[in-house]
Amino acid sequence: MFRKILIANRGEIAVRILRACREMGIPAVCIFSEVDRASLHVRLADEAYFIGPAPSRESYLRIDKLIDVARRSGCDAVHPGYGFLAENPALPRACADAGITFIGPSAEAMETMGSKTAGKQLARRCEVPTVPGTDDPIENPDEVQSLAGAMGYPVVLKAVAGGGGKGMRVVPNDEAFASSWREASSEALNAFGDSRVFLEKYLVAPRHVEIQILADSHGRVVSLGERECSVQRRHQKVIEEAPSTIMTPELRRKMGEAAVRLARAGGYVNAGTVEFLVDSNLNFYFLEVNTRLQVEHPVTEQVTGLDLVKLQIAIAAGHRLPFAWETITPRGHAMEVRLYAEDPDNNFFPCPGKILARRIATGPGIRLDEGVYSGWTVPIEYDPLLSKLIAWGNSREEAISRLRRALDEYTISGIRTNISLFRRILSEPEFLSGEIHTKWLDELLTRPRPPAVHPRPGIETAAAIAAAYWESMPSGNSAKAQSPAEPSSRWKLDGRRAQLDQQP
Amino acid sequence: MKFEVYLDSPTGKSKHVVELEKNSSTYNVSLDGQPVDADVILATPNAVSVILGGAAFEFHVAPAPGGYTLQTGSYEFHAELRDPRGWRGRRQGGLEAEGRQEIIAPMPGKVIRLLVKAGDQVESGQGLIVVEAMKMQNEIRSPKKGRIERLQAKEGQLVNAGDILAWVE
Repeated sequence: MFRKILIANRGEIAVRILRACREMGIPAVCIFSEVDRASLHVRLADEAYFIGPAPSRESYLRIDKLIDVARRSGCDAVHPGYGFLAENPALPRACADAGITFIGPSAEAMETMGSKTAGKQLARRCEVPTVPGTDDPIENPDEVQSLAGAMGYPVVLKAVAGGGGKGMRVVPNDEAFASSWREASSEALNAFGDSRVFLEKYLVAPRHVEIQILADSHGRVVSLGERECSVQRRHQKVIEEAPSTIMTPELRRKMGEAAVRLARAGGYVNAGTVEFLVDSNLNFYFLEVNTRLQVEHPVTEQVTGLDLVKLQIAIAAGHRLPFAWETITPRGHAMEVRLYAEDPDNNFFPCPGKILARRIATGPGIRLDEGVYSGWTVPIEYDPLLSKLIAWGNSREEAISRLRRALDEYTISGIRTNISLFRRILSEPEFLSGEIHTKWLDELLTRPRPPAVHPRPGIETAAAIAAAYWESMPSGNSAKAQSPAEPSSRWKLDGRRAQLDQQP
Repeated sequence: MKFEVYLDSPTGKSKHVVELEKNSSTYNVSLDGQPVDADVILATPNAVSVILGGAAFEFHVAPAPGGYTLQTGSYEFHAELRDPRGWRGRRQGGLEAEGRQEIIAPMPGKVIRLLVKAGDQVESGQGLIVVEAMKMQNEIRSPKKGRIERLQAKEGQLVNAGDILAWVE
């Protein structure tokens, strides 16, 4: 086993990895930028080293500084967490050069599986279904139209040079093909100077279902089952759960086998996730591979009883996965919400600042993975993920009621959070019956809100009394004397947000 | 002590008059002139616990622009308080603003009365303009002692939140 592990990350995931190290009796070394000196991962660390200014490209993304800290502190392994350098093959290469173990896949496996195009080619080679379509542009519209007919409508035409929805047309039927073709190619020509388009099958209201895999360095690959991550806001996951409400033992077996096949073909070692889209007929299509630990890994941990971070470390140290794991079936139901410092009433604008007070959620079936504390100032330089609140229950209904109960217990004051968004989602009938897809939340947010009602009678009277009582207290009261954090310039915040790497 | 409490929550705005009268270790509480059975304590330095006729509530209080935020679970109130006896608005905590100040409509509504004219000398906290919104009349007060440099608002005018009503120099 390793002597000492360098955690090349910050925030809640650094704390999560640190906890795994503690449980294994391995000293953990943390790193911090200028604004993270007082962060929780630094306070909990066995050793901590300063690595530079706040912008991540001058600190958390500097491989040379990481390797230097690892050498100086005598680390023989590096855990990258997620985000930052976790999917950058340059880090495992630099580790190998320095004689340090990288806790994750090889640089080669990252390259063959991590990129969307390379991953798709690999999927085709090992007969993992991908979204049907032409990879290469086709010049002749008649040829494309006959292909579309064979594939079955609806289809989508996408500009080869495209992006951001430009040069993209959904074609509902054969009659609409000719005009859609003209529009897509002329729009592509105008927007990108390249009129070429390719064809793909259009999935109506697909779900995002991903398979967690573990692979050891002795050739053993296992699937730990799925996570349903269809509740997304602009392609960012918001709620994750396991098992998926559409899952059948048959589909789980097929998707698990596909993921394992892909991992074997790519020579993958360590924890990884194969993402799929699933259509309403339960056909699944390969999307991409995440060659790292996922933000939502606790969901799988809660239903399998396994500790994925400790397993990652054990695999990197050359341990074998036990054979008994052929038949892992989820137990109960787990659901995670991502609590962000952002304002759901103001277009989810990030709202970092000082946390004045906090009451955390505990009790049966509740797990809180986080990197924050009362009195800490959430820095504006990084992704504003505060906490992941995970509920486990015997059934999906119990998990949801525990999550609702925990969200009512969890109080954070001084900064705005997206807690009210979850309050809304967790009471939507469509969510409760599991009728969700990847565009569901974006659509929900455009619907008019149901008229607000007070959660309990008498609450307004009680609030008025509480406010008057608070006002009547002598202002020497320490909590009352606190002032809210200085509002930062919106221009500055927006500029930083634009440069932020949103967490995966 | 008597307070005017202006509450804003997802269900809308409301105004209440709360009177707190110390009675040995507890308070006698009245709401809008009626006595209520309420037991109120400070549970933690940031949390106020209220038991209202047996129904228990807890609010986490944090300062917010103009007043406080009271959070309970994932529900939230914004509260602004005024002591009806004093001229001085408590919102500034006794501190006076400096320099030329814009008087801004805090909410959409209708200007129903002008209490001053351009050129008038005003005290800090003195009422300047009455705006009616959600059937409530709100007196907009001067943030400083000075002179009304210009009065843009007219009686009967509809205003939006953020509109400039006057300047105090």
